[in-house]
Amino acid sequence: MATAIVVPAMSEQERRPETDGRDFADAAWSVPSYLLSGILIWGGLGWLLSWWTGVHAFIPIGVVLGVGLAAYLVYLKYGR
Amino acid sequence: MTPLMLVAEDFTAPGPSIFDFPPLYEGAPTWLTKPVLMAVLGALVVCALAWSAFANPKLVPRGMQNIGEMGYQFVRDQVARPFLGKDAERWMPLLLSLFFLILLWNFFGVVPLIQIPVASHIAFPVVFAVVIYVIKIYLGIKHQGLGGYFKNMMFPPGLPKPIYVLLAPIEFLSNLIIAPFTHAVRLFANMFAGHLILAFFSAVGFWFLFEKLTPLGAGLGVLGVVMTIGMTGFEMFIQFLQAFLFTMLAAMYIGGSLHPEH
Repeated sequence: MATAIVVPAMSEQERRPETDGRDFADAAWSVPSYLLSGILIWGGLGWLLSWWTGVHAFIPIGVVLGVGLAAYLVYLKYGR
Repeated sequence: MTPLMLVAEDFTAPGPSIFDFPPLYEGAPTWLTKPVLMAVLGALVVCALAWSAFANPKLVPRGMQNIGEMGYQFVRDQVARPFLGKDAERWMPLLLSLFFLILLWNFFGVVPLIQIPVASHIAFPVVFAVVIYVIKIYLGIKHQGLGGYFKNMMFPPGLPKPIYVLLAPIEFLSNLIIAPFTHAVRLFANMFAGHLILAFFSAVGFWFLFEKLTPLGAGLGVLGVVMTIGMTGFEMFIQFLQAFLFTMLAAMYIGGSLHPEH
């Protein structure tokens, strides 16, 4: 009795390459938006702090912190 | 001073004023200008094309139906399905009209005598972006619940709590303010800049070949004409690309609200 050779069906992932396209497009269009948001939010807070305290260094600190956090967020959502 | 410099000093490059149009006729309301007329014309043409393609469908498509179905398939396979999956067909009426209307509006930028991309006035892309924005939030709240929508948007799972304080504001600003803003501005800015570039090179060609033809300036005029032709081809590519991108992002926002990623 010949044993049937079972060819496994292509996995769901392989049959739907559009999911990859979606993730890629999602990331490609979200990344600039996140980076800009990070700069605006944390740079803006830094600007407020510098305005209240008179210490101008808060602005660049906020901007750099914002870019870093946004990059971390991008890593969390698309890089893992 | 060379003759070239002399004429170059008289040359004024076209500026943002080329986007200002007077009312269409004496006594017309101030809003009734050429871009508005072209916007309406574009909508009518899209309606007429869709009507002639799909009003009386045959099993074996011919003529307009053939072209219409090619356009439909392109939008469905390239725009709708990657982001909407099985919901793609339901959203095709919106996406198809959006794509072809924006494509035609953009294309008006290189049609002789019309020569104004409608979207180079930011009010037009803003209306589309706002419509998509409202749909996105409505669908998000409908399918994920009010709390669930904002939770899925602002709190990617599996992180220590203090991190959320740092990241949630970025997600909020990015999804609810920056994304719709860039959605409209991307289309507007591309059409605005493209029209300005075309106007500039044609002005150079016209000025140095017809208005002030000098032996030294002629080369510059020829360069202007060649660049105008080249940039017209490039603009047509950009016009298509931007119509595609605007519709693709619309599908992406709608799909994101229907099926949260996490």
